[in-house]
Amino acid sequence: MDIFETPLPGIGVRYEFQAESGDHVGVVVRRDGKRDFALYDREDPDACRGTVELSEGDAAKLAELMGGTSITARLDSLRHNVEGLAIEWVTMPAIGGLSGKTIADGRIRTETSASVVAIIRGEEGLPGPEPDFVLHAGDTVLVMGSSEAVSRASAILTG
Amino acid sequence: MLLPLPLEVLPEPEASHAGQVLIELGIILLVLAGLGRLAARIGIPSIPLYLLAGVLMGEGGLIPVSAGEEFLEVGAEIGVVLLLLLLGLEYSPRDLRNGLKSNWVAGLIDGVANGVPGFAMGLILGWSPTACLLLGGVTYISSSGIIARLLDDFDRVANRETPVLLSILVMEDIAMAIFLPITGVLLVGATVLQGAIAAGIALSLVILAFVVSMRYSEKVSSMVHSHSRELLLLTVLGLTFLVAGLADAVQVSAAVGAFLLGLTLSGQVADDVRGLMPPLRDVFGGLFFVFFGISIDPRDLVPVLIPALILAAITAVTKIATGIYAARSNGIGPRGQWRTGLSLIPRGEFSIVIAGLGVAAGIEPQLGPLAAGYVLTLAIVGSLLMRFADQIPLPPGMRTKGARPTPQPLGVRTRT
Repeated sequence: MDIFETPLPGIGVRYEFQAESGDHVGVVVRRDGKRDFALYDREDPDACRGTVELSEGDAAKLAELMGGTSITARLDSLRHNVEGLAIEWVTMPAIGGLSGKTIADGRIRTETSASVVAIIRGEEGLPGPEPDFVLHAGDTVLVMGSSEAVSRASAILTG
Repeated sequence: MLLPLPLEVLPEPEASHAGQVLIELGIILLVLAGLGRLAARIGIPSIPLYLLAGVLMGEGGLIPVSAGEEFLEVGAEIGVVLLLLLLGLEYSPRDLRNGLKSNWVAGLIDGVANGVPGFAMGLILGWSPTACLLLGGVTYISSSGIIARLLDDFDRVANRETPVLLSILVMEDIAMAIFLPITGVLLVGATVLQGAIAAGIALSLVILAFVVSMRYSEKVSSMVHSHSRELLLLTVLGLTFLVAGLADAVQVSAAVGAFLLGLTLSGQVADDVRGLMPPLRDVFGGLFFVFFGISIDPRDLVPVLIPALILAAITAVTKIATGIYAARSNGIGPRGQWRTGLSLIPRGEFSIVIAGLGVAAGIEPQLGPLAAGYVLTLAIVGSLLMRFADQIPLPPGMRTKGARPTPQPLGVRTRT
């Protein structure tokens, strides 16, 4: 989907996209954090049929209702699709756990039978890390296995 | 022997002068408050009513003002400085850069199409070239204050034509930062060379403000920043008056100094000041419009009424044409083009600032009354046209031809 961004001098930024139904939807993010949610008119596509002003909290609520961030939405669908298989995103703690150590140090596969499938570091995803991969604080570790194995693995990871 | 009363230590003023000033100020502020309510009730901006109240006060008017005039003069000057400071704060340098990059042709057309009628009218009335130039400035510049406020009131912030509209306003405001110093120098009767030097100074100050705000904005902001509202207010006000005063001393105009300072402040400090200053600006800004009105004798309005109305009609049409051109070249549909044109019509604070320079310098007795009549007309008519833009039928030749227009994408594509 294409999202178009236009600066609004003195106000903030305006985002616009076309929904699959054909309607154009706009969001104005104001500098003070307020949002305007707008639905464009079909006859006069430059004007809004209506706008709703949302506070920062309202916007967060609405985002939650709409399915939250795309990562959690996709994660949820994975959980639903594969019965008996648990997936957990574990964020590495600043101190303790396996932070600063290799995956092999935790003996996760041997102890729990869960697998470390991927690491997310910053914006970068690293699939299939080697056992000698050194985990850093703040890394997100994707663990897969039975739900029991996954919870034990995350206990090892976070310490 | 009589004991001297402690009061006698003070220099003897005329009887209860301070009381007189306070009474007059109180009446003025209450009149403004009443008019502000009235304006909100009938859905027009308050600026034209403040102006009208000023015209009806003072010499030749219904309410005499004498004792408070000195304070009003200072208050009005503070009002201009605060108006411009907050205008500068509204824009980040990035906004200005984007505005200049995307719509400079429309900005140029805007300047020529709306400045020339004012200049020409001055020539017809037999004014001096400087007075003509000032009137050209009065007719050129739309009121970003009124328009931004009305966009919000009428829920048009999210409209697709709004970015086009705003970028034209931004360009006008930048143009003012260069126009005001030049006229300031011309008004003190300088030569062309001195004018060129002033323009050079103004231009380098604008560039300096840009560089400072882009490179060092964090440093400046952290120097000014304070968690105490009191200290922040004192720092920002002190800095503003100092910069404005210094700018005035080098003939760049106090207003421009304040505007550039506003541009320079950014980040957290800008947010804090934006939350802190508007009430102050509204009070002193109100005094500014009243003071300008007071300087005008209502009897002087009558002879310039016809030229003011003719000028208003012409420059309303030229603004509409400017807006239609700018919106069309950005891929906005006919309805949106029409709205953009109508929304550019309101004139307000900047026109009065420009005319005020001429009035203070006393170059042309008709300039003040003409500008007042002009701004009164276009502030009110323009706001009404903006409000009813969707009910006013499009001029022939602009109608949509049956088919549903498909909007062109606007702006930068961010994600796929």
